Amino acid sequence: MGRRATAYCLILPSFLLAAFIILWPLKEIVNLALHDVNRFGLLRAFSGLANFRALFADPDFLAALWRTLVWTAGVVGGTLAVSVPVALMLNGDFYGRGIARVIVMLPWAVSLTMTAIVWRWALSGESGMLNSGLQGLGLIDGNIQWLAEAWTAFPMQVLIGVEASIPFTTTILLGGLSSVPDELYDAAAIEGAGAWDQFRFITLPLLRPFINIAVVLNTIYVFNSFPIIWATTQGGPANSTDILVTYLYKAGFRLGKLGEAAAVSLIMFGVLLVFTLIYVRLAMREEAA
Amino acid sequence: MSKLTRSILYWLLLSPLVVVVLFPFAVMFITAIKPQAEVLDPTWWPSAARWANFAEMWRATGFGAALLNSLYVSGMATVITTVVSIPAAYALSRYRFAGRGAFRQFLLVSQMLSPIVLVVGLFRLVAAVGLIDSLHAVTMVYAAFNTAFSVWMLQSYFATIPKDLEEAAWIERASPFQTLIRVFLPLAVPAMVVTAIFTFISTWNEFVVALTMLRQQSAYTLPIQIFSLVAGRYTVEWHYVMAAAFVATIPVAILFAWLQRYLVRGLALGAVK
Repeated sequence: MGRRATAYCLILPSFLLAAFIILWPLKEIVNLALHDVNRFGLLRAFSGLANFRALFADPDFLAALWRTLVWTAGVVGGTLAVSVPVALMLNGDFYGRGIARVIVMLPWAVSLTMTAIVWRWALSGESGMLNSGLQGLGLIDGNIQWLAEAWTAFPMQVLIGVEASIPFTTTILLGGLSSVPDELYDAAAIEGAGAWDQFRFITLPLLRPFINIAVVLNTIYVFNSFPIIWATTQGGPANSTDILVTYLYKAGFRLGKLGEAAAVSLIMFGVLLVFTLIYVRLAMREEAA
Repeated sequence: MSKLTRSILYWLLLSPLVVVVLFPFAVMFITAIKPQAEVLDPTWWPSAARWANFAEMWRATGFGAALLNSLYVSGMATVITTVVSIPAAYALSRYRFAGRGAFRQFLLVSQMLSPIVLVVGLFRLVAAVGLIDSLHAVTMVYAAFNTAFSVWMLQSYFATIPKDLEEAAWIERASPFQTLIRVFLPLAVPAMVVTAIFTFISTWNEFVVALTMLRQQSAYTLPIQIFSLVAGRYTVEWHYVMAAAFVATIPVAILFAWLQRYLVRGLALGAVK
């Protein structure tokens, strides 16, 4: 058996498994999106882009689309703003660094569902420990019904998203920081560069590719993220915290609008493909460098 | 700046994050051990620690059955993922072949797609083969969606294993298969174990696929079982919910805390290589 044939045999099982379970549903979704579908999933007439038109005529969809943008930008931006300084500190030498690393990584180990359920309880109006904690610190007077209205619920969901994304981002950044040779800092210190200059002229440029990769990967994960919003508010009250994934789930499994749900899937697939292309270009530039 | 001042400064700067991270664990633990009468009372310290809550929760929530379902699904999915990923990762790190780039792109795209994007199609696939409520269907879906990550991690580790030994085996006329089994795999065991554990954790925590495919309570995995105690109910027994969440979370969290440095290394290798 030639080397090439061997290679194909080696990759074949993984390819078949992934292709069957990913490409077949994708084909189904394309089919559904382009047909008039009844609520039991039977395909009727070919309807072209009617499902897409129905989506863009639905104010709830447009609101969910916009909210997805805010959600993704908020979580990814917030995560980066916290993770860069945290990674810099965790890369430094200080007492208790091992414990600090474990604590920062901890949310990663907990499923998003559990995190969201615990926060849902902690955020409850009368019995929630967040309210009692904040009152104990004298920060608020009365109880806040955190999840009862979108303007308090959604920012809390973004914060939960940030909390859950910090470990992964910090991990990528720590990987980047460990590749910066110490001699560069020693040389800079001899030249009289202060801490800020060292950060600006050495750390940041060398960290930039890792920041780029973390941002793109986080964007993809957050854009796709379902459990945090589903397990805290299920997109409510009155669809006011829906993002695309929860809108999609409701359309498909609650309202029986399978054609429209499939159309949302395809739109998301298109967006993800663009993100993936950006990632590939960044990663290739990294490989070439 | 001395190491001591730096340590104090860093811990001060990190303290808000530490509080936010530990807060849910504290809420979970304290609620779990509260006597029922005090659960709705948002005090921080219960009058007594009621450990019996855990035993009662186990019976009241059907925890044992869901635990078995979760162990079965995650265990099987991890085995299948690992078995198909090892040869693929080996091929990617040791062979040049036409379509290698295309295969990597395929893995990348399949990694980007979370099951939620395909959930309508996945449901139709599983329904078409009559496997709604079947743990095997969920297992296969998990295996498919974790293969890309697994191949990616394994390949980045495999690339760090020197080729000399395998080349020596080839010179001795060992077949590729023998080389893989006898020479390469023993060296790759740590990487495989670490990758398998991460696959296990990710399937253990999965939500959307289980929520969609498993309709009968007897088939629920832990995340769905615990979610079902909260969603769409008038009275939620929060002390049981938190006790269940605690028991479902802590073993995985400990395993993860122990292994996180491998993840740092594997991802750092994979992200740039």
